[in-house]
Amino acid sequence: MTEILVVDDSKVMRDMIVACLRAIPDTCFSHASSGLEAIERLSLATFDLLVLDLNMPDIGGVEVLEFVRAQDTLRALPVLIVTTRGDDQSRERVLQAGATAFLAKPFTPDSIIAEVRAILADRAEHVA
Amino acid sequence: MTGTADLKEFIAAYLIEAEEHLTVANTQLLAIESAQRNGDTNPRGLRETFRSLHTIKGLSAMVGIEPVVAIAHRMENFLRDSDRSGSALPQPAIDALLRGVRAIEQRIAALARGDIAAAPSEELLAALDSLGLSAAPVARAPTSVLDLDPELLAKLAPFEVDQLLRGIATGARALRAEFSPSPERAAQGLTINSVRERIAKVADIVRVLPRAVPVAPGAPGGLCFILILLTRATDEAIAEAVGLGSLNVQGIARDSPTKAVVPDLAPSIDAELDGVDDGRIDTHSRRGVVRVDVSRLDDAMEGLSALIVTRYRLARSIAALTEHGVNTRELSGIMNDNARQLRDLRAAIVRVRMVPVNELLERIPLLVRGLRRATNRSVRLELEGGDAELDKSVSERLFPVIVHLVRNAVDHAIETPDERLRRGKPEEGLLRITCGARSNTRLEITVSDDGRGIDRAAVAAKAGRPAPDDDAGLLELLCIPGLSTRDIVTTTSGRGMGMEIVKRTIVDELGGELELHSQFGQGTTFTLRVPLTISIVDAFSFECSDQRFVVPVTMVEEIIEVDSNALVQVPANEDGSPAVDMISRRGVAVPMIQLWQVFHLQAGKKPPRKAIVVRRAGAPVAFAVDRMLGQQEVVIRPMNDALVRAPGVSGATDLGDGRPTLVLDLVALSASLNTSSQPLARAR
Amino acid sequence: MKLHVLFTLAGVEYALPFDSVLQMEGYAGATLVPGAPAYVDGIVTVRGMVVPVLDLRTRFGLPRAEIGLDTRIIVAECSGRVVALRVDSAREVLKLDIEKNQPAPSIVSERSSGFVHAVHALGKRLLLLIDLPKLLGENSHDLPHALPHADGTTRFQLPS
Repeated sequence: MTEILVVDDSKVMRDMIVACLRAIPDTCFSHASSGLEAIERLSLATFDLLVLDLNMPDIGGVEVLEFVRAQDTLRALPVLIVTTRGDDQSRERVLQAGATAFLAKPFTPDSIIAEVRAILADRAEHVA
Repeated sequence: MTGTADLKEFIAAYLIEAEEHLTVANTQLLAIESAQRNGDTNPRGLRETFRSLHTIKGLSAMVGIEPVVAIAHRMENFLRDSDRSGSALPQPAIDALLRGVRAIEQRIAALARGDIAAAPSEELLAALDSLGLSAAPVARAPTSVLDLDPELLAKLAPFEVDQLLRGIATGARALRAEFSPSPERAAQGLTINSVRERIAKVADIVRVLPRAVPVAPGAPGGLCFILILLTRATDEAIAEAVGLGSLNVQGIARDSPTKAVVPDLAPSIDAELDGVDDGRIDTHSRRGVVRVDVSRLDDAMEGLSALIVTRYRLARSIAALTEHGVNTRELSGIMNDNARQLRDLRAAIVRVRMVPVNELLERIPLLVRGLRRATNRSVRLELEGGDAELDKSVSERLFPVIVHLVRNAVDHAIETPDERLRRGKPEEGLLRITCGARSNTRLEITVSDDGRGIDRAAVAAKAGRPAPDDDAGLLELLCIPGLSTRDIVTTTSGRGMGMEIVKRTIVDELGGELELHSQFGQGTTFTLRVPLTISIVDAFSFECSDQRFVVPVTMVEEIIEVDSNALVQVPANEDGSPAVDMISRRGVAVPMIQLWQVFHLQAGKKPPRKAIVVRRAGAPVAFAVDRMLGQQEVVIRPMNDALVRAPGVSGATDLGDGRPTLVLDLVALSASLNTSSQPLARAR
Repeated sequence: MKLHVLFTLAGVEYALPFDSVLQMEGYAGATLVPGAPAYVDGIVTVRGMVVPVLDLRTRFGLPRAEIGLDTRIIVAECSGRVVALRVDSAREVLKLDIEKNQPAPSIVSERSSGFVHAVHALGKRLLLLIDLPKLLGENSHDLPHALPHADGTTRFQLPS
């Protein structure tokens, strides 16, 4: 079972992401509506993938990413950043902060499925 | 898992969320404007606004609403730049941003109606594109006053540091509290979200920072949250609010002689943190709130009504069985349980339909702002809301009425600043709107201004009637259909137009009351009283001249026995209105009215044995009826058609026999019997 | 060609556009509403709505009739208002070629208080077409503020 934590302060956005990713078999979803809540969840349970929005109250996605990468236990956690800033500069910045992949809004169901499948396949290879 | 998701299915949910973000944007922009009027910036508000627009843009892009994306994108860019530079928003920028919000609102509303969202005008887009930032970003305040780890300090934004410094200077305590999440605490309901909510009640949270810590029994997740707070509460009080025996709390204000270096402070921290200014209502936290389509609630109510009617039919069938000698004891017991369950379910649904009264008032500041500019008046708005909640459908009908009264007040009643000065009034006019629960069934709303007041003579002349004696008479004149006093703006405060609609909504549709108090030259107050819910009430059923009626229990003060020997008759009036008897009730004389007479029904064979006592305007009035039948919950259905509008009838219900039974508003009926409220009838 | 509902009053046939009709029901009487005009029998519940019943005989100045097996109420909608019209019988629904409508002769429209706005000849039958808005009193002066009742008295009316 692939445990996916979806983090976005918009409930509609989270629901849309889950609706898209349900097409991937054996997936199970948790929600968090802020960066702080996401960090809390990550400290208490294990996840296989973090889908993270950059723009959130209290603590932005980049900060969450930096925090996550700084923990030994979370260093290898795949993180897919989803954001409206699709420009190359943002992409660079996010990848440098340690994101595994980057997807710009708006995205189609097919594109987010493709990204996630690629990430999970990669991970399976590395773990194996 | 079949097929790919269709994101268009999310449009309904998107519309609801977009509306919420638009409300936040409106509120924050107004807060920024008013803070800046006091010479202050509102960086938190700016960030909130930015985030709202950013979210709207993202969601709109996902569901494919290009026009909204175009508007939101420009607004978001400008807001991001402003946020970074820390500067104030120039007035033209605020105006343009509010226009942008309005443009998005219009498109959201169109989509909700099933129309398409129109492309935004080139002019609006150009206006948003050309927004410029103002100069002079806020200077970073010295941080030598704060005793905090450098790495944490580096994470604080300039305005947060500012906030701390101001807080300290006004005597608040600056603290850091620590919270480590764990499975046990989560099971007790302590998560970072709940902790934040609880602390927010006793302190202002400046920032929450996550920090990795070595894994330990107290921090099994290797995580600790550091909350930077400003408060006047004690450490114990804070711990208690959170629900922990003790909380790791440390002060972070350095006792330092260099305090003198603290920069020149703007208005007190209380004003900045409360942000209540210019009548803005604090939007209450939306965490844990589900926005539901009202039609779904209506469906639920319909279903419940059907359940209640069915239950009564069951009860009657059981009664019939009992009469035939069948042992129905167990059945009756089950029916009682069922009754209680229905009552509970009803209460739960009614609670869901209730919306806070403040929601009604939320939009008013924006409306007044627009009116101020359009009419060039100087108006101060005071809003007094309250904890009351009212049924969503009542709230929806009330809003246009309040808008109408506010428009009239600002547009016509309140004089220009010059004229006000000439009359010895303060230059700024006052518009005050209050909203509070009058009893547990009625809500009272007042809209008052200190403007011109209404010129009775002029209104009467326009209506072609004699000048009214009192405010009640004046109100009736104003509500005459088609009476337009728009062309006599200066003498009549222009309230003629549309007052008929106000009355129709409040009195006829909602079964409420409308009152007017006006003093020429001084000001006018409109008072609206409306029922809080319009659906299910507890009612007494009774019989009068072989016809059944019900009256809501909350309206009834007492039900008394009538001893016909103890009645004293008052001689009938010449105008043919019903004769009134007096009855003694615990030593006090109470007027008693024969209901059958008022309703022109046949007199009963025997004199009425019971009377229902209600209180109107402080005085008790009794209505004599033949006999009381019982008490039950009834679903009130409105009877709005002009053909069946009658004084004292507030709707109809079904007592289980499929035929409508009239629901009486005896308070309104007694009001209508008061001779002073019949001038129109006499004038004919 | 437009679908119409046909009904009778005192032997005369009338027609109403079908798209204004919500439903047709049998009639067993209405709950009296005090203060309503004489031509309003009272209220009934239809589809969960409380609907006033207009007795068309009284409205047209015809003598009242007892409720019979054929008595029907036609629940009609007009400008958002829903009203039930009580008629002697209502059995047919027909397509009429409205091009063939002729304006009502003045004596007909006068006697029916202007509620009939056209006539339609269908073979040997003459159908009178009802002006529904006029019937329901859509113009404000038609609305009952102090309408006299059949017995000449003015019912108790609050300026409403």
